[in-house]
Amino acid sequence: MSGAPALRVTDLAVHYPARNGPPVRAVDGISFALEAHETLGLVGESGCGKSTVARAIVGLQTVTHGSVMVDGTEIVGAGRAALRAARAGMQMVFQDPVTSLNPRMTVGAAVGEPLLVRGLARGAALRERVALLLTECGLRPEDAARYPHQFSGGQRQRIVIARALALRPALLVCDEPVSALDVSVRAQILNLLVDLQRAHGMACLFVSHDLAVVRHVCDRVAVMYLGHLAELAPRDALFSAPRHPYTRALLAAVPEPDPVAQRAKPRVPLVGEIPSPARMPSGCRFHTRCPMAQPVCRETEPAWREVGASMVACHFPNE
Amino acid sequence: MTPALAVHDLRLLIGGAAVVDGVGFAVAPGEVMALVGESGCGKSLTAHAIMRLLPDAVRQDRGYVALDGDNLSVLSERQMRLVRGRRMSMIFQEPQAALDPLSTVGAQVAEGTGSPLRQARAAVLAMLDEVGIADPARRIDQYPFELSGGMCQRVMIASALIARPAVLIADEPTTALDVTIQAQILDLLRRLAIERGTAIVLITHDMGVVADIADRVAVMYAGRIAETGDTAAIFARPRHPYTALLLAALPRRTDVPRSRLAVIEGRVPAPSEFPTGCRFAGRCPLADARCRAETPLLREVARGHLSACWHAEAVR
Amino acid sequence: MRPRVSFGIRVIVLLIVLFAAAALLAPWISPHDPLRQSLLLRLKPPGSATASAGLFPLGTDDLGRDLLSRILYGARASFIVAILSVSVSLVVGTLLGLAAGWFRGWTATLIMRFVDAMLSVPAILLAVLTVAVIGPSFVTLVLVLGLTRWPRYTRVAYAATLQVAGLPFIAAAEMAGADSARILLRHILPNIAGPLLVVATSEFGLMILFEAGLSFLGLGIQPPAPSWGSIMSAGRQYVERAWWLTVFPGLGLFTLVVCVNVMGDWLRDRLDPRSAGR
Repeated sequence: MSGAPALRVTDLAVHYPARNGPPVRAVDGISFALEAHETLGLVGESGCGKSTVARAIVGLQTVTHGSVMVDGTEIVGAGRAALRAARAGMQMVFQDPVTSLNPRMTVGAAVGEPLLVRGLARGAALRERVALLLTECGLRPEDAARYPHQFSGGQRQRIVIARALALRPALLVCDEPVSALDVSVRAQILNLLVDLQRAHGMACLFVSHDLAVVRHVCDRVAVMYLGHLAELAPRDALFSAPRHPYTRALLAAVPEPDPVAQRAKPRVPLVGEIPSPARMPSGCRFHTRCPMAQPVCRETEPAWREVGASMVACHFPNE
Repeated sequence: MTPALAVHDLRLLIGGAAVVDGVGFAVAPGEVMALVGESGCGKSLTAHAIMRLLPDAVRQDRGYVALDGDNLSVLSERQMRLVRGRRMSMIFQEPQAALDPLSTVGAQVAEGTGSPLRQARAAVLAMLDEVGIADPARRIDQYPFELSGGMCQRVMIASALIARPAVLIADEPTTALDVTIQAQILDLLRRLAIERGTAIVLITHDMGVVADIADRVAVMYAGRIAETGDTAAIFARPRHPYTALLLAALPRRTDVPRSRLAVIEGRVPAPSEFPTGCRFAGRCPLADARCRAETPLLREVARGHLSACWHAEAVR
Repeated sequence: MRPRVSFGIRVIVLLIVLFAAAALLAPWISPHDPLRQSLLLRLKPPGSATASAGLFPLGTDDLGRDLLSRILYGARASFIVAILSVSVSLVVGTLLGLAAGWFRGWTATLIMRFVDAMLSVPAILLAVLTVAVIGPSFVTLVLVLGLTRWPRYTRVAYAATLQVAGLPFIAAAEMAGADSARILLRHILPNIAGPLLVVATSEFGLMILFEAGLSFLGLGIQPPAPSWGSIMSAGRQYVERAWWLTVFPGLGLFTLVVCVNVMGDWLRDRLDPRSAGR
């Protein structure tokens, strides 16, 4: 499978019908590819559509148009059987570890479910596989007999990760996997994800609003704003030389846990609020809040083009 | 100088467990004091105790709160109601939930003035303008559902501050907001502290927010203050192992990507299982027999920098 | 925090258990044959005793049958009818609600509009009409009660299913490759069982009332088989002369239904954390 990307998203769009007026364009024409073994961060503020993209990739979200190819299989419009087969190769980790696990099912049953329902293991063999998965994720084999409420948030996220790894997926989609966790626990889960990816070499789409976390785990980073990609760049390029003014504003807005650096940072506060996707601004979607907006930004949508190592959608990118 | 707010030796019990134990600090006018810690550390209960808005299940059995030198614990509930909103206000994490959905922005902000919106309209408009709400003349007659989360937080700040209270308690005021909006709200809080001399107690779990806005910080763990001092000093050289580990657990821009983050082994003990001695001892790399037997009290380890650790000098 | 089991609830549960035990053990603990008539022993007051027939603790009815025995057997009839009809409506209603909540779309529209239609017809009237048309019998009674009372379960199951179906662990089960049947039975049903149990409890009380009501009207359990409704119906003519014929079955009915309803309220508070503080 060398050469073929683990995931290729082409011109993906998810529109919701609106009661009055044009449809809400939650995700609108997004394209990117993810190589095997690579981690791509997808960042943006709430309502930018990043979680919708994640759900569309694993076939949990109806897509308006576009294509999602996972390991050579088209997900968009796939039938039940095809989707079920494709999901053997891609799994998802969710944000809230509390609602990600069935409260009435033991941990062992939850982790073993993918193997059981696909007929890959049962009985003693299944128990053995579950014990291995739990151990790999930092839990004890005995934990299989317990129920989710007996675990802390961090441990539950380990269970969720163990379940996602059961089928040894080639693609792991993580939707805000550490956002609901406390700092010390977050570090444990991030270490675990980094270790597991090293050990298994799966491709990973890492959706998060937390730029520090994304920088820590990702090879490349895509920045979303109002359903569009603003910028996609290798990690170091994005963090050291952001091209899109929105990326710059986002980086400036994240408070650094270092008072000296944080207070020395130039303040480029972004004015105004994020517009509603139901009333999308004309031209460049960011022009209503952009400190560098020119008349052309109001009228023409910027093309998605290459600037250095980065892809960026801006009329006036930092070159 | 009398501090704007002083909390003395506060202890809060749920059942028999001291979920807040011996918490005390003082905030000067114009100062931003951060209470920082992970969930369950007691920071939010402390904030509610200051306002005397504790849930029924929580009992305060020790300590008192002084507002500009006045002991609030001697006040009746009726007198306390006059203190809240006028001399001391509170804002919350979920601004949309904290605002009354059936009442206009103007009416809610006017409540703090004690007079109806008709008479207070000019003051309300000025206040909305001061907290950075664009087009206040239009917003004043709108309802909370018509505003974004960031705007609702501004409205809440406006209604908290219109009576010019000396103290503002901000309980995770930016946790529910996006980073670009968070930056705006933090800038606003900082400006209010400087321009109005409001003393701000900021409850947060985010070390970045602390680094950005707090003058001083108290790090809480399992209901106790682990360490307190100037923000710069604590970040430069933490004197409690918990603080040191917490800071090391954060991914930073200067780290090598995918390097191992420091972790704190184990988990925060449940209040019913609080150990004797230092409550962090069970997870602390420096813990010894003394830590498990004797409770370390806060002591000055550097000028203005207090740590509740027997091994404060050994923390690197 | 879960409420402690209070003394009051213990008493209520004890009473329900006593009723259930009486119903279950009626053939063994009844002092007399509930059907044996004796013209010599007509309308004897409670506590009457004869040398030949023995003691009649609650007296006898107009045909000289022992009232206590008839009440015990009547409790048996009430419980059997209530259990069977609640089971029928619980199964039918839950399956329809699960289907509507999971498949949504036109399936849900069809089912839920049917529910609306059913709920707009008074169930007792529907039951009376049906029995009147096809004739009273035990099976008819159970089916009529069961098949008129399912819409409440459907509504509850539908709302709960919609809520649970949106949770990430359901998406995770889909990702795992589980089919609809497995998701419905293993993942959704156990998580909506609580509210359904609450409905079933309150319906249980109602079913006992309905059975008594229909039997009172002569549309339920058919004489001479004893039922609280028919005992009271027969005793109605003798209210002035033989008060015990209406008071004792009435008291039994009242106590049992109150107990079941209190139990239902308690279950609701216990299973629904949101109402715990109210």
